[in-house]
Amino acid sequence: MKIDRRSFLTYGTALVLGGAAGSMLTPAPWKLTDDVAIWTQNWPWTPVPEDGEITYKQSVCTLCPGGCGINVRLVNGRPIKIEGSKDHPANKGSLCPMGISGLQYLYGPSRVTSPLKREGKRGEGKWKKVSWEEALTAVAKKLAELRENGRPQSVACITGSDRGTIPNLIGRFLTAYGSPNYIRSANAQDAIEQAIYLAQGKQGTPGFDIEKADFILSFGSGLLDGWGSPGRMFNLYGNQKPAKKIIQIEPRLSDTAAKATQWIGINPGTEGALALGIAHVIIKESLYDRNFVENYAFGFDDWTDDNGKAHDGFAKMAKKFAPEKVSRITGIPKAEIVSLARAFARASKPIALNGRGHGSVPGSIDESLAVQSLNALVGNINKPGGISAMPDSNYAKWPEVNIDEIASKGMQQPRIDGAGSEQFPNTRFLLNRLPEIINSAQGESPIQALMVTDANPLYTLPDTAATKKAFDRIPFIVSFSPYMDETASHADYILPNHSYLERLQDVPTSTGISLQVTGLAKPVVKPLYDTKHVGDSFIHMAKALGGFIENAFPWDDYEAFLKETLNDQWRKFKRKGVIEIEHNLPEPLAYTFNTVSGKFEFYPTARNSATQKENSALPSYTPVPIEGDVQRFKLVLIPYDSIRLASGYMANAPFMTKTVDDTVLKNQIGLLEINPATAKELSLKEGDTAILTTPKGKATVKIHLYEGIMPGIIAMPRGLGHTAYSEYLADKGTNFNELIGPIEDPTSGLDMAWGIRAKLTRA
Amino acid sequence: MKEKNNHKHAKRYGMVIDLDKCTGCGSCMVGCYSENNVPFKTDETNKLDSINWIQVYKITNGKPFPNTEVCYLPMPCMQCDGVGKHGHSPCVSVCPAVATDYDYETGIVSQIYTRCFGCRYCMAACPYHARKFNWWDPVWPADMEKYLSPNVSPRMRGVVEKCSFCFHRYQLARDKAYYEKREELKENEYQTACAEACPTGAITFGDLNNKSHAVYKLKNSPNAFRLLERLKTNPKVYYLSNKRWVRRAGDNYLAHEEPAKIKQKVNQHH
Amino acid sequence: MKETPLIPAGVKRCSTWQFSLWMTAATAVLAWGVYAMILIWWKGLNQTNMNDAYGFALWIWADLAIIAIGGGAFFSGFLTYIIGKKELKNIINFAVIIGFICYSCALLILAIDIGQPLRGWFIFWHANVHSMLTEVAFCLSCYFAVLTIEFIPLILENPKLNKKPFLHHLSHNMHGIMAIFAATGVFLSFFHQGSLGGVAGVLYGRPFAFREHIFIWPWTFFLFTWSAAACGPCFTILVTWITEKITRKKLVKQSVIQLFAKISGWMIITYIIAKTIDTVYWAFVTAPGMGFTLMDFYASPTYNIGILFAEIVLCGFIPGLILITKRGRENSFLLMTAVILAVIGVCLNRWVMVLQVMAVPVFSFNDWYTYWPSWQEVATTVLPVAYGIIVISLAHRYLPVFPQEKELNPID
Repeated sequence: MKIDRRSFLTYGTALVLGGAAGSMLTPAPWKLTDDVAIWTQNWPWTPVPEDGEITYKQSVCTLCPGGCGINVRLVNGRPIKIEGSKDHPANKGSLCPMGISGLQYLYGPSRVTSPLKREGKRGEGKWKKVSWEEALTAVAKKLAELRENGRPQSVACITGSDRGTIPNLIGRFLTAYGSPNYIRSANAQDAIEQAIYLAQGKQGTPGFDIEKADFILSFGSGLLDGWGSPGRMFNLYGNQKPAKKIIQIEPRLSDTAAKATQWIGINPGTEGALALGIAHVIIKESLYDRNFVENYAFGFDDWTDDNGKAHDGFAKMAKKFAPEKVSRITGIPKAEIVSLARAFARASKPIALNGRGHGSVPGSIDESLAVQSLNALVGNINKPGGISAMPDSNYAKWPEVNIDEIASKGMQQPRIDGAGSEQFPNTRFLLNRLPEIINSAQGESPIQALMVTDANPLYTLPDTAATKKAFDRIPFIVSFSPYMDETASHADYILPNHSYLERLQDVPTSTGISLQVTGLAKPVVKPLYDTKHVGDSFIHMAKALGGFIENAFPWDDYEAFLKETLNDQWRKFKRKGVIEIEHNLPEPLAYTFNTVSGKFEFYPTARNSATQKENSALPSYTPVPIEGDVQRFKLVLIPYDSIRLASGYMANAPFMTKTVDDTVLKNQIGLLEINPATAKELSLKEGDTAILTTPKGKATVKIHLYEGIMPGIIAMPRGLGHTAYSEYLADKGTNFNELIGPIEDPTSGLDMAWGIRAKLTRA
Repeated sequence: MKEKNNHKHAKRYGMVIDLDKCTGCGSCMVGCYSENNVPFKTDETNKLDSINWIQVYKITNGKPFPNTEVCYLPMPCMQCDGVGKHGHSPCVSVCPAVATDYDYETGIVSQIYTRCFGCRYCMAACPYHARKFNWWDPVWPADMEKYLSPNVSPRMRGVVEKCSFCFHRYQLARDKAYYEKREELKENEYQTACAEACPTGAITFGDLNNKSHAVYKLKNSPNAFRLLERLKTNPKVYYLSNKRWVRRAGDNYLAHEEPAKIKQKVNQHH
Repeated sequence: MKETPLIPAGVKRCSTWQFSLWMTAATAVLAWGVYAMILIWWKGLNQTNMNDAYGFALWIWADLAIIAIGGGAFFSGFLTYIIGKKELKNIINFAVIIGFICYSCALLILAIDIGQPLRGWFIFWHANVHSMLTEVAFCLSCYFAVLTIEFIPLILENPKLNKKPFLHHLSHNMHGIMAIFAATGVFLSFFHQGSLGGVAGVLYGRPFAFREHIFIWPWTFFLFTWSAAACGPCFTILVTWITEKITRKKLVKQSVIQLFAKISGWMIITYIIAKTIDTVYWAFVTAPGMGFTLMDFYASPTYNIGILFAEIVLCGFIPGLILITKRGRENSFLLMTAVILAVIGVCLNRWVMVLQVMAVPVFSFNDWYTYWPSWQEVATTVLPVAYGIIVISLAHRYLPVFPQEKELNPID
């Protein structure tokens, strides 16, 4: 048969068609179809987690100062989930979303996996991996150099906490080295702590026995928005017998306000005036605890000092705050103020709290004093359901530090931040003043080397631009952060600490809690990367510096140090993970106060009255002079805190950001809350893009109409607008701190800015 | 009806969520993500392509300042019993490939990821938006794959997933009980991750048929309601709220209708 | 030996270059669609703008719509072979081709629309008999096979193929038994068109779609089958008219068109009456029973009550009334207006039954869901149009599609 083109085509086609049809009768196409489907069910890029034995390890969460107990589930020794520990006395099993997200910090893309030395310009992100030996030697060399030049005081260290052995170890290092500039980040407790100190003469973390209180009067404290120890607060609210009444006073309907018995909208910043107004009614109607006021308090009535000078008492001050006047200041109806005062005074265990939101900004001393006066008026001091100053646990005892002459000279220098100075005698740390001091210094920066651990000042300090400018003037910055945060990314060296789940640490619990509990954070997993315990880094540097400094650290490593510190309690601690010291409240009414008068001082004599109105130390109300011209900036911008947004040293894990509503963040732009009536005046609609301007900065925002905010006020959340970390967090929304600057409280020097004036223009 | 007789002692696992206790903290969501290997993307702000097995909605009473009220509403899969409570939930009956099924032993609506071929008919059927589609391949950056739980398979792109009432926890608890020669599970032996994660104890989980379980009593509270009951989906997730406007927001009502009366009518009918 | 021409004898076709140019344009559009299709298969459905609220969107609408307008094939088969309207033989070839195009595209779109295309066959293997989609998939595939069988004899009539004795006899014999296939096609179509109606109607979690009692079965099923039977012929008439305009010649006698249009008109009228009854019961009984008023469903700027008016009156009663009146049918402007309105009407109905179902908020606290297709979705939806143009162009050029063409356009 001759095969020509045509028959080739014909037979070829027939062959192909026949072949195709025939192959359908073979298993091949069916097997292939099945195999392809099976392949889609086992795509190699979809992970198959390794199975194995399930175990649990108890530890303590240190992502925030809350110090909640955690229970980590492991599979073959691999941590796979964090749940709340039911055995921990603070949180009793409750945990916030950040605590549950913990493993994302451990394994996440923001980890610094080895010591790094800066290669490019600061903040450029160019790093060189170096060995620990090289990194520690370089830092020690720089520190030795500054000491040799007789300037040990030009070294500062910023930490997140000043309680527990790690901060103490660092403090010890600085003392032996010769620098007084150990600076702890600020929080709202600082102002309350100082108010308590001024009134009671006792230094200690404020303890609020909310567990036993039956009436909570909260001046904007975000009790359910991450205030204090979040696990404890949630547990208290939901699982224990909650207070009969929770009154939440703030300009915005927060999650706490939503859960409160009553939400009272107040003009922002006027909380102190309201407290005095309530005091006015209580005094006027003689609803106060007569026994306490008459027998255990000082300065309620007018008094005369040793020099014969007459002073007004608290009652006279309160008299100036009649409900009509307070109503005008606060925007709260007069009748509401009166009934609030009566309800508060008549409750069996009332407690008044202040400190806005999470409590990241201290606020004014006047306000804290006014609120503490309310607690005193109802005699709610040092008793169940009341307020007390919690002294630090005294387990930490070390041999005295012997220091050399250079160190001695350095230690005699005033602190760079002015804390403890004549101007601010009762304040211990004033980080908020640091940028301004560095920026206004003539010549070179008074801080030549800065070490930062468990803190992220480049993000958390108000006025980000000024902070960055100040940091740029510091020639040598070392970060010990396990994560690539804003401060770490601007450092010269990063000496990464172990992440919190890899390190040993004692954790004193907690701000606001009226129990003395110390937890032990135990490593639940061996360090994943080339990191080093920050305690070990400091011990290593001390040894490298030699002499007296080396002698101050006779321990091989941090564990030896901790073991010796805890002494006979170590074994129990290690076994149980928690040391609980029930704080022994004095017998009711056996009030002990360490003030000059020996009483609770309504008139705080230890307060520097020179800076106050009419030279009176009495709590009063002076509006905080928030920045911005009223004509140019017609709106008032306030921050708000959310439990789903971490705004402190630790930033959001991807899981937390995933929970953030689209009314808070949309794509990369943050939403600004505004009352519909105000928005209408500005012709703004839901979802509009607008430019938000304050005297400190500018941001692009989207508009979110929210009935739960007072007209004329606009609010945006803290915790967004990161520039570092990973793409799961960076460049999302605006950092509130870029839009606001600090305002110094005249008494404490602490930041008391609650907001800033602002304007909105359509983009 | 045959199914009913075969499962005389069948469980009806369900949930009662006390909205008065829910603070909207999001712990349930995060607890669920980490329990169930839920993936995450760099941008999760489009809530319509964000995988959440339990999603917390924020609703308001719509009144202007200062009378505004807010309520958080966590929504897992409602595990509907369906019209007539026969297990024909809106989604199960429509899945063309039996990739989602009603388990008559527990009342839990399952989802088989390897069976699902991603037609999304179940999503169209579900009025609660409980079902989520894997629009992307899941990616766990850095070393995050290491925290994945072996008890729940990570899902591939192109399939639907949803809350399973942590069915793997039921399996583990049941295996343990069998091993210990027990027939019945104790109430606390099988709890969902969200119920455990809720720091205020707003979520109660248990067998709705079991009089000794807390949910049994709670669901009969006068403040209890279910979402969209009038659609006859018969959800096994109940809610509690002492606020009238919240209870009303749980379903659709004509202006003159009174929720309590409608609820009575709906329940009598079924 | 003289080369047999590819083009059927006795008809005139445009020049090769003209045809090539036309085909190139159509192929370019097709290529765009194919590119989008590959992109979707490669990267997944994240290439679309669908989301968890819009799990069903443009594609499902396109599927439902092209199946509805492809209904001309089964209905003309029904009329020709079962009722015995022999005149319609003059248009049935074209109706079959259009049907073939529509159904092949419907299957293709389904293959694009699913998240795991490589497992798509699970719908057959692991079939859930309760699911409307299962029913649709089975009937759709079977009916597509029937349409293919119906199309084959026509292909074999190409002069070149017809020269082969085997193919010639095959074609002849297939023609002989075509009535059986037509009947099978009608049977299958009644099922899957109805099931498609059920797709939305059974969603008892979706108050906008759900129908109660007899209004779900058989009413909804019936409505979909009926509307496809009513409007499918209109689409066939429309495409015939377009083909005539492009080729600049009459292809089907007006009497055939008139007959087809008249039957369609009566179908539309009866359909729209049934649809109105359904709507009234739904609006005044079913929806209020679930706590909704009719206007709750039309409270968005996009989905306002105008849509219901457009569907029922403008694109329902009006074309129906035009087509049942002799004067309306005989006025070519009115005829074409009615035909176009009817096609829009059925497409709008399918749109509403897919996209508005998704858009309506079921929770009192939710807002309307919005959706705008991505270019990939649009491209893959345009793909069938380009594909259809190519198939029709090829069929028209090389196959004796229109039996009356020679008579109507004699070559001197």
